[in-house]
Amino acid sequence: MRNVVIAGYARSPFHLAGKGALARVRPDDLAADVVRGLIARTGVDAAALEDLIVGCAFPEGEQGFNIARLIGLIADLPLSVGGMTVNRFCGSSMSAIHYAAGQIQLGAGEVFIAAGVESMSRVPMMGFNPMPNPALAKKSAAYLGMGDTAENVAAKFGISRAAQEAFAVESQRKAGAAIAAGLLSDEIVAVGGVEADGTPRPGTTAEALAGLKPAFSANGSVTAGTASPLTDGAAAVLVCSEDYAVANGLPILARIKSVAISGCAPEIMGMGPVESSRKALARAGISVGDLDVVELNEAFASQSLACIGELGLDVAKVNIDGGAIAIGHPLGATGARIVGKAASLLKRTGGRYALATQCIGGGQGIATVLEAI
Amino acid sequence: MVKELCVIGAGTMGAGIAAQAANAGVPVLLLDIVRDAADRNSVAAGAIERLKKAEPAAFMSKAAARLVEAGNIEDDLGRVAECDWVIEAIVEKIELKHALYEKLEAVRTPGTAISSNTSTIPLDRLIEGRSEAFARDFLITHFFNPPRYMRLLEIVAGPKSDPALVAKVSDFADRAMGKTVVRAKDTPGFLANRVGTYWLQAAINAAFEQGVSIEDADAIGGKPMGVPKTGIFGLVDLVGIDLMPYLKASLTGTLPANDPYQSIAHDHPLILKMIAEGYTGRKGKGGFYRINKEAGKVKEAINLSTGDYAKAAKPVSIPSAAQKDLKALISAPGVVGAYAWAVLGPTLAYAAGLIGEASDDILAIDVAMKLGYNWKYGPFELIDRIGGADFVARLQAEGREIPAILTLAAGRPFYRVEEGVRQYLGADGEYHAIARPDGVLLLEDIKAASKPVLKSASAALWDIGDGVVALEFTGKMNALDGEVMKLIEKTIPLVAEQYKALVVYNEGSNFSAGANLGLAIFAINIAAWGEVEKLVAGGQKAYKALKYAPFPVVAAPFGMALGGGCEICLNADAVQAHAETYIGLVECGVGLIPGWGGCGELMVRAAQSPKAPKGPMPPVAKAFETISTATVAKSAANAKEIGYLRPSDGITMNRDRLLADAKARALAMVEGYTPPAPPTFRLPGASGKTALELAVKGFRARGLATPYDEVVADKLATVLTGGDADVVDTVTEEQLLALELREFMTLVRDSRTQARVEHMLTTGKPLRN
Repeated sequence: MRNVVIAGYARSPFHLAGKGALARVRPDDLAADVVRGLIARTGVDAAALEDLIVGCAFPEGEQGFNIARLIGLIADLPLSVGGMTVNRFCGSSMSAIHYAAGQIQLGAGEVFIAAGVESMSRVPMMGFNPMPNPALAKKSAAYLGMGDTAENVAAKFGISRAAQEAFAVESQRKAGAAIAAGLLSDEIVAVGGVEADGTPRPGTTAEALAGLKPAFSANGSVTAGTASPLTDGAAAVLVCSEDYAVANGLPILARIKSVAISGCAPEIMGMGPVESSRKALARAGISVGDLDVVELNEAFASQSLACIGELGLDVAKVNIDGGAIAIGHPLGATGARIVGKAASLLKRTGGRYALATQCIGGGQGIATVLEAI
Repeated sequence: MVKELCVIGAGTMGAGIAAQAANAGVPVLLLDIVRDAADRNSVAAGAIERLKKAEPAAFMSKAAARLVEAGNIEDDLGRVAECDWVIEAIVEKIELKHALYEKLEAVRTPGTAISSNTSTIPLDRLIEGRSEAFARDFLITHFFNPPRYMRLLEIVAGPKSDPALVAKVSDFADRAMGKTVVRAKDTPGFLANRVGTYWLQAAINAAFEQGVSIEDADAIGGKPMGVPKTGIFGLVDLVGIDLMPYLKASLTGTLPANDPYQSIAHDHPLILKMIAEGYTGRKGKGGFYRINKEAGKVKEAINLSTGDYAKAAKPVSIPSAAQKDLKALISAPGVVGAYAWAVLGPTLAYAAGLIGEASDDILAIDVAMKLGYNWKYGPFELIDRIGGADFVARLQAEGREIPAILTLAAGRPFYRVEEGVRQYLGADGEYHAIARPDGVLLLEDIKAASKPVLKSASAALWDIGDGVVALEFTGKMNALDGEVMKLIEKTIPLVAEQYKALVVYNEGSNFSAGANLGLAIFAINIAAWGEVEKLVAGGQKAYKALKYAPFPVVAAPFGMALGGGCEICLNADAVQAHAETYIGLVECGVGLIPGWGGCGELMVRAAQSPKAPKGPMPPVAKAFETISTATVAKSAANAKEIGYLRPSDGITMNRDRLLADAKARALAMVEGYTPPAPPTFRLPGASGKTALELAVKGFRARGLATPYDEVVADKLATVLTGGDADVVDTVTEEQLLALELREFMTLVRDSRTQARVEHMLTTGKPLRN
């Protein structure tokens, strides 16, 4: 089979929904800026692109009309390049990468951009017209709020509030350190003059977090401080055959070794990464001990800690530059961010294997194993 | 008109005035000193931030808050050249004011009004050293705290002030800022504080002298006199006890030596001690009253003779005859009559003595006390209630001096109605009609001059001229019942035949507190479900009949417009609301849902909002959020933000102008009027209801909704999502009303709703069951 590589990664700054610096930016414009930035940074020949695949969790309103095609047109991609929108909620843009990799291995193209976008300012979670199936709502937790699932995980896996808060403080600290060391600026494409993330709060202390009220359940343990914030942002990676990347001198970050999807109970959707990561590791023929870099999306501290525990991950290797609790979680964009990040970190740290994985609302997990070239 | 305004001095008064000018829709530059060289506007900017958080709210809307810009007097004073009115509200130090005016004179555009918010410094001293041109443009505008809510504005013009400019400022303050302007002469304390300070001092002295407890003093000197229930000591606690020596020093220093205030203005050692120890009132450790938290939030009162606090005692009981009859009050036996007279006798005589000196007419003083101190009656109205001859006789018996106006009155009342015209006694000894300013129309005047066109036990219909009638609610708290609905049904054919338009308006304390729950609970207690259903269905029918009547209907709410009081506005063709309108569908608070068409009307408004996304859910979700949380708007502007009012609905800033504005709006709609077409709805049915249920479950989990809230929300969701309707169906207004009635009747039979209604009736607070 043909090898598939990640040959570039870029993202927009991430900002809080509603009050952040990107609240007034349309999601299609936001993603187009990132796509343009990725092309410029990698030097890829846009005419060689087969397709632009864009993940988005609520593809309606300004994110509607097959936003992928519109982003391509806004970014002035050649008209020959396709555009497809993918929705797997939080796993949308990681699925976009998987789709591109599959197409390459199928011989259906050499070069793809897999991107993701979410303006949680402009298109609310659940969309503008939430109309759940009444019968399904009765028999399943399919529509359960994400915060409630985080509470369920905390209860079921015994993750204390203090442990969640210590995890959140650490995420903020790592993000702060990475920003201070200039390690995030390389991946960020300025949008409308906004050059840096608005989400991180590096000075967060355990004491401050301990004072917050539970956000989802009066007697619960999950607070706004231990949940990822509602975020506006976009991310994109360049996915291409290894042969093409080498022939065209593209800056290869890592090779895609294996991928996996798995379903789980909707009421504990945060545990999705466990099974999907196990499947992907097995397909790659490696074990948890072989991993040098892990990007585990921090939807909530409770599910992150539970997954780390269940998988037996080495905490020192997880989310080295901070995770979504600090950086934010623009639903559709996160998958591309953490795959791009894991690939970049392999290169930066000189490690051999990386895992990028995330949980998905409704009860799913998705995982990608990367290998250094 | 004033297009841009500058307020200098960002203290409590300056900032509050700036906020009210912004509420009027005018950009305001708020300036104060530079305290921080790095952040030069920090003083004014800090004041704006405090205004945004003020309780009660200083701003009426978010848009108003954006109109105030912070600046500082060192860098930005030059910008007063762009302003048409500059209000100075800095500290009461004449040398600082003089220095500021000197700088202002150099940068202002001639013709720009400059006014001072001083409460103590005479105008002639303020303009010392200034040019003739400056003096021409200068006046005093004395606002009351808080400037948004206190309607009184005392204006003092000097002999050199340009009358046209004074008129321009008065007109803006009246129409745009909603103030009732009272002209005062350039005398110390002007009107309200002059009388008010005397009154408080006399009342405090009498309590000490007669050994009256503060609980008794406030019980006697409060409600029976038409004074807010804080009475005397409660009021001083509220405004700050430390303000008393300051007011006293200012008045004794400026009033002539023979002014009667001089002889009563003495200090009480206990009060000085309280101030020294930080007992300055509610803002301090406590005042005459304090809440003892250690004893479990017990309200305590100070003993004026010992200075010790003890649990506030139940005050002396006021004989029932004396509760409403002032004559009976001042002649009541024992402490009640003695204290009442000791307060009222000298105070009313003092007020009467100000005619000629501080004001040329009684109207200004009465209005000043009613709007500046929230007295129900002004001093001269109080004298009328006692009886002028009796009052004079008692003063004479005590050897007191009789003020000239009382001698002139010679026992005649200060106010009378002659041939339907309200008149007052002038300083010339003649009666004069009470002239209302242009654009002020009061139902009070119409009622004095005419008989109702129709009348029932709870409502009346008045001819307000030019072919327009006004529907007035007359029940307790203007509550709505079957009698109101019956009158509406009779009104419609009558207006259709003989008049052009209808306004819904009254002059109670509030527009309407909603349906008469007392009547409802009576019917519920005897399980007269048929009667309850008749009341709800009758209300729906009457309101829809108003909506589809062949003439324009304009509702003119003010104050509280709750439940059914809100729904009559929602069913009107247009609303002309007073700026201080607190409108809301609050039925869920008593375990009910809107039953007089409120559900559908709110969805229609939400769907018409240009900001609303397309699809069946957004109007439903918006109405659900608003109704299920019993949201009450904090102003008419806020009601537009929430969606109770349409963008096209009008807002009147001055309460006295509301009826005239509503009438004009109704008349403007007469030509070519066609009733609205009934709306149809495309509702999401069970799927949408599921989404709302999920949201309510989240609120329950977070402890924000009670178990019964969930039940009530479920019924509300059923109505708003169209019941059994599917998203492809069209739901008519009639179908929605039937659904509203059905779900209302389900709730009203639930004992938990009944418990909520009873609790509201007995405590005035919602039961969270």
